[in-house]
Amino acid sequence: MTSIDFSIEVDVPAQTNVDFYNSLLQNQPVHVLDVRNPDAFQRGTIEGKSNLTVQNLPYYDFVEDADAAVAQVSSDRDIVVVCAKAQSSQFVAGILQERGYRVSYLEGGMPSWGNFYDVRPLLEAPFGQIIQVARPARGDVSFVLVSDGQAAVIDPLRHLAYYRDAVAQANANITLILDTHAHADHISGGPALAAETDAPYYLHPYDAIHPMDMLPAQMPYQALTDGQRFQLGQLTIETIWFPGHTLGQVNFLVTAPDQSTYLFTGDGLFLESFGRPDLGGKGETWTPVLYQSLFQRLPAMINDQTWILPSHISHLDEGDGEGRFFAPYGQVRRNNAAMQHGTREDFITFVLNNLPVFPPQYIEIKRVNLGLFIPDEEKASELEIGKTSVP
Amino acid sequence: MATTFDHTLDVKGAKCPMPLVKSRKAMNDLAIGEVLRVVATDRGSVADFQGWAKTARNVELLEQETVQENGQDTYVHYLRRTS
Repeated sequence: MTSIDFSIEVDVPAQTNVDFYNSLLQNQPVHVLDVRNPDAFQRGTIEGKSNLTVQNLPYYDFVEDADAAVAQVSSDRDIVVVCAKAQSSQFVAGILQERGYRVSYLEGGMPSWGNFYDVRPLLEAPFGQIIQVARPARGDVSFVLVSDGQAAVIDPLRHLAYYRDAVAQANANITLILDTHAHADHISGGPALAAETDAPYYLHPYDAIHPMDMLPAQMPYQALTDGQRFQLGQLTIETIWFPGHTLGQVNFLVTAPDQSTYLFTGDGLFLESFGRPDLGGKGETWTPVLYQSLFQRLPAMINDQTWILPSHISHLDEGDGEGRFFAPYGQVRRNNAAMQHGTREDFITFVLNNLPVFPPQYIEIKRVNLGLFIPDEEKASELEIGKTSVP
Repeated sequence: MATTFDHTLDVKGAKCPMPLVKSRKAMNDLAIGEVLRVVATDRGSVADFQGWAKTARNVELLEQETVQENGQDTYVHYLRRTS
């Protein structure tokens, strides 16, 4: 056994979330060494593309016997060490650096990575802009639409500064806040953003009843109706009821003056999969409803050129492969796993056989989103630990 | 608090990895069979000490408890040197 120096090395280079995210998007060969305990690792770690490798080796193995632990780090790639905060990853990175490894540590650790937002424009046209506000570690995506100084926010996440900044940068004011449905996997920023801006917050009334508790929402909202239209500068936004994932799930179809169309699908249709219909505890009765939405309602409202812009991704290769998570419907129709099952029976079997585990905290998150329970910051981030579960 | 102990290590305020690093060091100075009581404020120490004790040489985790001290949660770990 070797005795080790217990002082923490601090001259190891830190990696910011921005740089780290870009290296993941560019599919650089990176080896992530997650030094948290195995339970934390099991609940979710870093995910990337094909060239990312991830290894779990708790920091206390390095405390116990540094040489034995280092011998298990097989990679000759650039190593990024991550942990629960950042001190343990600095400690391990220091040990590796001393032994000649090319190593850095992720600044802020996993909580900071989980709360990292990436904001990038998807479209900049004379009639307006579409800005994507994504939280990549969770797979959550939201959008800001801008036209003639007015902004609509679709499915805002709970860290509101990113929307304020994006809208200010576009010289616009928020005039409309839309949730495609009552979210179960993350806390909506909609009601809080409405309180802050005086813009109305819209939700379909079917989703304003908690499906498990059968209790009505306690927060202020405006009730959406199927077919309801909004004018945002030069853009028309049409509400299209799209039940299945939830009973009050809607899509927002945006039509520009050049007749190009953009469908914000929330959790109705993802680029490669579908919004699970079991989170109300009624998977078997809601799946046929999802079938109707996907195969009967959807084709009537769009064409193959319509952009599909969902509120979740399951991996970073989706969309254009460079962090812009949308695709034309023609491509989604060909590539989406669920859309290959066109008959009712086939679809129902496929969906019910491909449901991931039901995360228990989803029931509580929906309570938060309906104003039935108000968490403090610690509880809010605890509820949002890990990645959103997409089939 | 049924567990008796021979030494106490106060790592209140220390952040991960220091509670565990200092505990490892302190365990090396214990006589075989002696028990170290570690008092930490880092909540992550609870799961980390469990994981560590599974693989560590000569360390047995006897008990863990959460104790309120001046309105703050402290996490107390009892570790026995086994060899």
